[in-house]
Formats: sequence, C-alpha cells, structure tokens
Amino acid sequence: MDNIKINRTERSPDIDFNFQNNVFSIRGESYPEDVPAFFGPPISSLESYLDGVSEGNVEFNFELIYFNSTSAKVMMKLFDFLDETARKGVNIAINWFYESDDDNMEELGIEFGEDLEAAAFNLKPIEA
Amino acid sequence: MSYEIFDEEMEAIQRAEVFLESRNISSQVVEKAFKTLLKDYGKLFKSVKRLMRLSDRNEQKLKEVTTSLDEKNNMLEDLSGKLAKYLSPQVYELIFSGAKKVQLTTDRKKLTIFFSDIKDFTATTDDLEPEDITFLLNDYLTEMSEIALRYGATIDKFIGDAILIFFGDPATRGVREDAMACVQMAIEMQRHMMDIRTKWKEMGYTRPFHMRVGINTGFCNVGNFGSADRMDYTIIGGEVNLASRLEGVADPDGITLSHETYTLVNDFINAEKGESISVKGIRRKITPYKITGIFNDTNEERRFLRSDRNGIKIFVDFDKLDEESRSLAIDDMRAAIKRLSKLDEKTDNSE
Repeated sequence: MDNIKINRTERSPDIDFNFQNNVFSIRGESYPEDVPAFFGPPISSLESYLDGVSEGNVEFNFELIYFNSTSAKVMMKLFDFLDETARKGVNIAINWFYESDDDNMEELGIEFGEDLEAAAFNLKPIEA
Repeated sequence: MSYEIFDEEMEAIQRAEVFLESRNISSQVVEKAFKTLLKDYGKLFKSVKRLMRLSDRNEQKLKEVTTSLDEKNNMLEDLSGKLAKYLSPQVYELIFSGAKKVQLTTDRKKLTIFFSDIKDFTATTDDLEPEDITFLLNDYLTEMSEIALRYGATIDKFIGDAILIFFGDPATRGVREDAMACVQMAIEMQRHMMDIRTKWKEMGYTRPFHMRVGINTGFCNVGNFGSADRMDYTIIGGEVNLASRLEGVADPDGITLSHETYTLVNDFINAEKGESISVKGIRRKITPYKITGIFNDTNEERRFLRSDRNGIKIFVDFDKLDEESRSLAIDDMRAAIKRLSKLDEKTDNSE
C-alpha cells in the first residue's frame, strides 16, 4: 500500500502513515471543519491494511496539542481498532507524546490508554 | 450526599447485569445478543463520559484564554488611551484604525499652517515660580487645544509656549474650507485669550500672556519623519517656516496671514496689508496681512465679565453660576443698582 502523507494545516494535523515500516503518526492540532471527511480516507486505508496483518510490529505515534470532541471520538475508535488488531497477535505499540507541562494532554492519554488490553501503551513526555 | 449525573445509565447497566446473572433468558442466541448489547452500551457510556470530560477541559481552557485575552485587551485599551494623549486625535485614529502604516513615508499636500507663541514669554514668566509657569502654560495650552480640536485641527506639537497646528491632513474639507476653519479657530482663540487673561488677573497673575499667530497656506511634506524606531507625524517645508515667520511679525493679540491664506478667506475677514518680508527658504518676497476685523461677526458673549474701577470691582464667571447663584447675583446687582440710582437722584436734586 502507498504511504500516506498529509501536511498539517491550522486546523488539521500531520498524518504520516508509513505502511512499509509499519510506523503511523498523527501530529498537531485537530479540529477540522469536517472531521469524518478528513480522517475517513487515511483511517479506512489503515484499517484495510491492518485487517490483512496478523503478526509483526506496528508503531503508532500520537503527538497532539489540541483536539476537539469529534476528533476524540475518532481517536477512541482508532484505539479500539488497534487493540483488536493486537488481540490478533500483532505487536502494537501506541506512543502518546505530550508536552511535559501539558497536564491536560497527559490525562487524556491516560484515559485513552486505560481501556487497552492487548496493545502496549507508552506515555512519552517531551520537553515543552 | 454525592450527586451522580450518570445514575440512570449506571442503573441500567446494573439492572442488565443482574438480569444476565439470574439466567432467566431462555434462548442462548438472545443471551449472547443481550451480552453484546450490554458491552456496547458500557463502551458507549464510557465514551460519552470521556467526551464530556474532554469538552469540559477544552471549555475551561477556552475560558482561561478568554479571560487572559480580556485582561490583555483592557491593558492595551488603557495603554492606548494614555498614548493617545501624546498624539493628535486624527493621527491616533489613523494609526489605531490601521488606515496609516507606521513607516517612514510622507505625502505632499496643500495645508494651512497655524503657528503661535506667547509674546515675551521668558520675560513675562521671569518672576514666576516654576509651579505658576506650569499652571499658566498648561491652562493656556489646554484651552487652546480644546478650541483647535473643535475646529478639526491636527495639533502637530507644542514647542514650549509655541503651538504648531495644521489643517488639510489627515482629513481635508477642501483647501479654502481648511483655510477658513484655521482662521476662524485663530480668531476664537484670540477672543478666548481675553477671557483667560481676565481669569488669570483675578487669580493674581499681573502679567498675563498675549498670543501672536501666523497662518500660511502652501504645499508641505506631511507624514512620519524620524527613524524606524522613533518617528513623529509632522509637517516640514518652507511653508511651515513661513507660518512661523508670520507669527514673528504679528502684533500681540493679533493674527497675521500670508497672501495665499488671505486670498482664500478675504470674503470673511478684513485685513491690513503689511510691508513685504524675506523668509529663509522662500525666494519670493512675502506680504503679510494683519487681520483687523471680521465680517459676519457673531459677537459671541464671553464667559467672564470683569470690571475693576475705583470703588467697584466686578468679576462674573457665567459658566460657574448655577440657578441659585444667578438669582442671588441678580438680587445683589439690583440692590447695588437701587442704591446707586438713589445716590444719583440725590446728586441730581442737589444740583
């Protein structure tokens, strides 16, 4: 599958899905005008790809500064899907990057990560 | 007692769990479907709670940012209000509305320039304490500025006791109208000076100020001069020097115009042609015109009435008299007139 690279705008994050290396990243702020239209195509591609994967390592990086409620729903859905994929036997590592002084983003990461049963979840503070 | 906003949802889950444990479901298919439904409901419930928390956090952050922005805005408003006092209102408006870029650019425009100073300011204020000089100068500049702003003038600057004002920029009503407004303003200023002098005399200042005014109309460079770090919105050019020179040859309490200004306002004023003068930076000889009278003189009533003769001293500040004070003043005056009339009658009878 071709890699997906979408550059960030004022309202939407960078999306970097590298299917060759199994490294996927979402970075920036997320409050697009039409959240399903923005996330729909790359996440559908990701889901089709991971549906066909049953082993190996997959790394997923989230580095978000701000996101709205609809984007949060997309993240939760994605977390569920990644956890399901991990249950199939794929080693999924989810890295949640947040600025070390951003308590809000840290708490959100903890909440999102607490439901994961099979995928590994790592909180990764970065210097502000 | 704690208040639980999701108590109904939690109860629904608990009821469903109890129902499942009771094994009252006959069909295995239904039981499986019920289990799935319950699991999904639990998940949905969790998502809702999480989204609400996220929304609350974002709202709180937004509130904090708004509060901080409000504080910054108030601070900026306060600061710009203070800064405004250092600028002419028109120039302030021009900058703060974004209509004029704050950069070193100038335009060439035909302006009417007003230049005034106090005759013998140094000698007049020699014997005064610094506090008295400050009071007199500030009082004088405040009163003159109020008049200038009423006529839509752009106050360029105060240079000690001198005032530089111009008409025609940033806004112009037309060259003739600008010249008219400037001359009318100067006349009102000189009239008002009589009132202020009366007030100052009453306060004990024996040598009150006398203002001289020079007015010229001509092309000047107007805009921001200085450096990129420190600029001044002002006018320069030979025509500005000419206004200053005309002020120098004006009589105390007088207004002197250049020929250019005079031709624009001669329907309105009467002026006396003076002897030609040379001005540095201007090749042509300059003919000054001294205003001697005003057509359509409205003969406006003045604020103060002052009379100081042997045996009688009157000082009335009409603006300060309220209704009661006016009535008492009338009674006082009537009593004085009655007695004066009686004395007059006695003098007549004895003759």
